[in-house]
Amino acid sequence: MLDTAGETSLTDMPLNRLVACHECDLLMPKPQLAIGEKAGCPRCGYELFRHTSQVVRRSLALVIAALLLFIPACFLPIMEINVLGQTSLDTVWSGVKALYEAGGILQSIAVVVFLSSMVIPLFKLLIQFLVLSSIRFDAGRSYGLFLYRVYQHMREWGMLEVYLMGILVSIVKLIDIAKPSIGLGLVCFVSLLLVQVWLEATMEPHQIWEALAEGYTDESH
Amino acid sequence: MRAIDAGILVCGECHELNRQEDQERAGQTQLCTRCGAHLHARKPDSLRRTWALLLTAMLMYIPANVLPIMTVYSLGKGQPDTIMSGVIELINYGMLPIAIVVFVASILVPTFKLVGIALLLFSVQRKQPLSARQRSLMYRFIEWIGRWSMLDIFVITILVALVKFGNLASIEAGFGAVAFCSVVVLTMLAAVAFDPRLIWDNTQTDQTD
Repeated sequence: MLDTAGETSLTDMPLNRLVACHECDLLMPKPQLAIGEKAGCPRCGYELFRHTSQVVRRSLALVIAALLLFIPACFLPIMEINVLGQTSLDTVWSGVKALYEAGGILQSIAVVVFLSSMVIPLFKLLIQFLVLSSIRFDAGRSYGLFLYRVYQHMREWGMLEVYLMGILVSIVKLIDIAKPSIGLGLVCFVSLLLVQVWLEATMEPHQIWEALAEGYTDESH
Repeated sequence: MRAIDAGILVCGECHELNRQEDQERAGQTQLCTRCGAHLHARKPDSLRRTWALLLTAMLMYIPANVLPIMTVYSLGKGQPDTIMSGVIELINYGMLPIAIVVFVASILVPTFKLVGIALLLFSVQRKQPLSARQRSLMYRFIEWIGRWSMLDIFVITILVALVKFGNLASIEAGFGAVAFCSVVVLTMLAAVAFDPRLIWDNTQTDQTD
């Protein structure tokens, strides 16, 4: 409120030279970033955007890796226990199935677990793949825009990292009683998680939105 | 200066700036020029929706803590476990680090979330002791930590699938787990419904620019 002259000029500036903080609505001139830099809101500290090089190529490589790991991570045994000669193994899918078969109201938890540990992570990866392909091959950008909007709503509902913590807690709980042994599925699951975290850190939404809307050239990172 | 004062709407989905058009055609919302999402200066009905979800979560919080989340059957005998008794059992087994993780994820975080969101809502509606910066940090923390409460649900899922040896040993989930799961989902939805920009409205003194 001190700098009235500055504020009128802010209102008159073209929109593409302005940026507003998504968390506190502070309006400011858009900072120009070099590769690897990030901009934060001066008022509330929220990260406005980053500038990563080769976003599309790097994200595409990561998303393909994640998709390849997805099926083994969900369907290979995570761990196995042995009680008096009987063995029993657990996959992400078998957990959902066992809860669902318990019937009644418990099926609602099975659905939530199914969504948060399998469906949403898979949909997120598929959407990321389609969005990146639509930018890379310059086709179907309008679908890309729509899909990326859907992605924004799914973000925090994929819970692979929480599931991994759940696996660890279960192993510790069982360790005295049943000697759990770790399976190949867990290796795939951890790899999937790592690739997915890396992907999320690489695929900067701000740059993806701009690429979707304005067209993409390989030289412009 | 806020974007809303400059007549600029920030798209809730792609964060593109849009100049506000004349509101002559009332009842029709403007669409984002980049992604086509409906534009709102603030999330519509944010406070009311957040309150509704939060109150429902508070109601479910009671059965979530009182009722057994799972029952462990061994040799025909069943032993029901509530969230708290599960933590105590872990401590008795001498697994303190894991007990702390489960305690934080299943008891501390849900409670903190319920109180925290209620505080945010009160603070937006009334005078409050926390600064805007503190409240926005709290909001970000609540938003980030919410999903971690699903930990116990995933543990139950894994145990139910793994421990099924007929009469020898088996584990069944209980209604407490359903209530707990709904608390987690409802508080996550409440955090989504809340508009953090409301924290900063009417707080010109906090501006640093």
